[in-house]
Amino acid sequence: MTWVRDAARIAKRELRGGLAGFRIFLACLALGVAAIAAVGSVRVSITEGLQREGRTILGGDAEVQFEYRFADAEERAILASVFTGVSEIVDFRSMVATGDGLEAERALTQVKAVDQTYPLVGQVELDPPIPLSEALAGDRLVIHPILADRLGLSVGDPLWLGAKRFEIGALILREPDVSAQGFGLGPRTMVRTAALDGTGLLAPGSLFDTEYRLTLPEGTTDETLDAARAVIEPELEGTTARWRDRRNASPQIERFVDRIGSFLVLVGLAGLAVGGVGVSAAVRAYLDRKIPVIATLKTLGAEGRTIFAAYLIQIAVLAALGIVIGVVLGTLIPLAAYPFIQAQLPVPVELGLHAAPLAEAALYGALTALLFTLWPLARTERVRAASLFRDASGPIRVLPRIRYIVALAVLAALLVGLSAWLSGIPTLALASAGGIAVALAILIAAAWGVRRLCRRLATTRWARGKPALRTALGSIGGPGGEATAVVLSLGLGLTVLASVGQIDANMRAAIDRDLPQIAPSYFFIDIQPDQIDRFRETVISDPEVTRVDTAPMLGGVVRSLADRSAETYDHWVTRGDRRVSYADAMPAGTRLTAGEWWPSDYDGPPQVSFAQEEADELGLALGDEVTLSILGRDLTATITSFREVDFASGGIGFVMVFDANALRGAPHTWLATVYASPEAEGRILRQVAVDAPNVTAIRVRDAIALVTEALGALAAATSWGAGATLLTGFVVLIGAAAAGERARVFEAAVLKTVGATRSTILSSFALRSALLGAAAGVVAIAGGAIAGWAVMTFVMEAPFTFEPLSAIVIVLGGASATLLAGLAFAWRPLAARPAQVLRGRD
Amino acid sequence: MVLTLRDVSLSLMGNAGPVDILHDITLDVAVKETLGLVGPSGSGKSSLLMLMGGLERATGGSVDALGHDLTAMDEDALARFRREHMGVVFQSFHLIPTMTALENVATPLELAGARDAFDRAAAELDAVGLGHRTDHYPSQMSGGEQQRVALARAAAPRPDILLADEPTGNLDAATGGQIMDLLFGLRDRHGATLILVTHSRELAERCDRTIRLVDGRLDAGHGDLRVTDAAATGQAHPAVDAAE
Repeated sequence: MTWVRDAARIAKRELRGGLAGFRIFLACLALGVAAIAAVGSVRVSITEGLQREGRTILGGDAEVQFEYRFADAEERAILASVFTGVSEIVDFRSMVATGDGLEAERALTQVKAVDQTYPLVGQVELDPPIPLSEALAGDRLVIHPILADRLGLSVGDPLWLGAKRFEIGALILREPDVSAQGFGLGPRTMVRTAALDGTGLLAPGSLFDTEYRLTLPEGTTDETLDAARAVIEPELEGTTARWRDRRNASPQIERFVDRIGSFLVLVGLAGLAVGGVGVSAAVRAYLDRKIPVIATLKTLGAEGRTIFAAYLIQIAVLAALGIVIGVVLGTLIPLAAYPFIQAQLPVPVELGLHAAPLAEAALYGALTALLFTLWPLARTERVRAASLFRDASGPIRVLPRIRYIVALAVLAALLVGLSAWLSGIPTLALASAGGIAVALAILIAAAWGVRRLCRRLATTRWARGKPALRTALGSIGGPGGEATAVVLSLGLGLTVLASVGQIDANMRAAIDRDLPQIAPSYFFIDIQPDQIDRFRETVISDPEVTRVDTAPMLGGVVRSLADRSAETYDHWVTRGDRRVSYADAMPAGTRLTAGEWWPSDYDGPPQVSFAQEEADELGLALGDEVTLSILGRDLTATITSFREVDFASGGIGFVMVFDANALRGAPHTWLATVYASPEAEGRILRQVAVDAPNVTAIRVRDAIALVTEALGALAAATSWGAGATLLTGFVVLIGAAAAGERARVFEAAVLKTVGATRSTILSSFALRSALLGAAAGVVAIAGGAIAGWAVMTFVMEAPFTFEPLSAIVIVLGGASATLLAGLAFAWRPLAARPAQVLRGRD
Repeated sequence: MVLTLRDVSLSLMGNAGPVDILHDITLDVAVKETLGLVGPSGSGKSSLLMLMGGLERATGGSVDALGHDLTAMDEDALARFRREHMGVVFQSFHLIPTMTALENVATPLELAGARDAFDRAAAELDAVGLGHRTDHYPSQMSGGEQQRVALARAAAPRPDILLADEPTGNLDAATGGQIMDLLFGLRDRHGATLILVTHSRELAERCDRTIRLVDGRLDAGHGDLRVTDAAATGQAHPAVDAAE
């Protein structure tokens, strides 16, 4: 293995030359690794925070949740026998009002009815700072400040909940277990469960759930908790009760953080790919400069493998340095951004040093560095000693040996496989890797196309007589230009940004602009069967109301589908509670896609009509059986038809509609959608509330605003990721501009010699930079439009419209970025004296 | 006079401080004269040529070309002056690598605002025997061909003054001879004043006059002698001999 020792010695001597020429290499690698390390560290910190604070977040060591019912006496007794503390919470949506007449202001609220033992863990912080027991004493309740603001209320004011008048005891500043509960449409109202008597709420069939928070003595181990669970679970078997404990206190947040973290790591990988372009360009330029050295070494008897190893060792040392810088930055960035990160999260985060995400980032960095440098490195073997005696200044233009091409394929597969495995979202990871590869291929093709086009334009009559433009076009289209590096580095970042821009704009358009035109103004829920006729009369009598749809609604939990337990499916239909309906005759507007609707007054074995698309996703066929638990009783029905259901229209849509006979007897409420002009919305709400104060109205516009806000946050997070990619792209751009400076100095000197003024030369430089940037922008827009169209068409199943605003911003951004980088390196060429430059090259 | 240099000196900043390149050069060049600049390497020949072309700025004295004081002009004024009156040929050709032969030749014409820049450029390439290689990039051409393109580029705007810095220095003897013929042919055709730096005795002998530089000064003993006189006596000029 003397050749390895020789290689190491050569590498050591070569490295004495210092890091000049490798700044871009180091910056690209460090940035990519830092972005991934930072995202990974924050994700782990949040997840660990959720784990550590699990007991407080959950409000107990464990929780048992029931849908649409309270635990019965027997169940309560079991819970009390195993746990030292038991607290009952009822959670449901309702309306609060400032009065009981037509003049009253109303608002949607998420009600949390609690018993005397709440909270078992942590404290509720109130304004004024009084104990919760005092604030809830008598017929008093506490509300979130947003609700108070919305209704213009303060502590001591009266507030109606359902049909009962309460007094505001305090405002809620902090609710310890707020993160454990899911997504709420309205701000919180907290009240004693006992005080709900007389409100008319929680009638049979109402949509509510109960949560039993359970504690063991503090310091109890996980084993004891598991033992407690082992006692409880058999007792609750056969019910729809769901267990959750402190180790999984906030699955929604955890899932969200996990998903968004993985997604951002994938975006980070795109950044690393852009960095790879810079790394590759830097190594290629370095090795091109080294051809005389390599040729000399070969003349002196060095074998190809020695040369390859010598340069591989150098690149490995530099890559290790870049990775270390990246890991350090990735650790420091979250610490610097801590206040911002904490402000975005409802849970406490403690940032620290986490080895796993840092190692993951380092591994990605190492693989990327190797992937992007192997090609130019492998070509060093092909440099001939004869290069010395010919023109050795030209770049190496030969294919590497086949073994290196195979190694490249293996490395690429390893990187993709690793990202699929470590991200935990393999499909998205593979799709992203494919997307990046396709994007890179498209960008390479686009760069080639841009060069051809510029070449062609430079020779047209149109460009003649415009020397600044023609030299700009010539330099883009001519040999050895920066076009490929610039289009690749900037193009990928801009493509990600353009995709986000197109998808975000289209989603917003669909939700903000299109949905309100087809969606109802209100959803009314919890309408009791004896109220539905009067409700219909009230709303239909309003001249502004154009349409009213009603349907009976029951809450159930899917137990099994087609003889398979619901838990074995990974689909939203089988998760959590599922609202279902029943009908006798086929409701107007229904379109069956298969099977037949049951006859009128059907009283045979239960039948169900299933939504076609969801049935396809779940692999269901006509004749399959569905078992649903409704209020503790199982109902099994046979699928006899499939229907088209358009959930995107915002109207009434049930996945499952049973025959009337199967469910008519079960306690249920009615759901109504009312379509009216925006001006009539307030009046309708007041009229309905006067007749039926227990009915909850959900204003679709408010729900849309919430969804839009959530989307905005998602788009913002992605834009930050794309921003990191762009930053790396900009570094590559600077690298390309710096690498091209020597050529521009020479060009400027020659142009001055043949009579070009500095303004002509500067115009030419500015034009070529702006043209390249704009070209990268146009390619990015095309890529973004394709990605946007694909996501909207296949994922969102919504129409796609090209959104020009984000596109214009991206083209201008691309042009400005390259212009900036180009002009930053224009000063030297403009200032240099031609004689010095040209004689230096003689 | 086409060119008048008075007490011209040039100092450049080197790593170890300022380096004096030229000292007190006083020189006149007549219209349509062919002047050879000879002297040992490092004597300042090329620097003097650069000063004459306004590509380098004198640190003392004055350089007057066609009645314009080059030392008083800014960078852009010098560029415009060259565009209208001068053509320069270098030892290493200095073609722009991202432009084809035709584009390289057309560039000075375009800069001068010529509407028929490309037609004239094509004719000029024809004149140097490269009419068939107009669309080739410099990297696709031999050294001799590149120098021919450079000659065509320098001659295309019909300059009053042609400056050539060792135009055959990078070429073999045969190719160098062809280039020389072309250079003198162009000069004869366009009636320009030709000033060339050379180490070649043959080339120097073809000049009307040669001057010799030593250590940045005109060699007083041999300066301003007509080679034609030497040619008449059948002897090489001693200054040229010393330069080789």
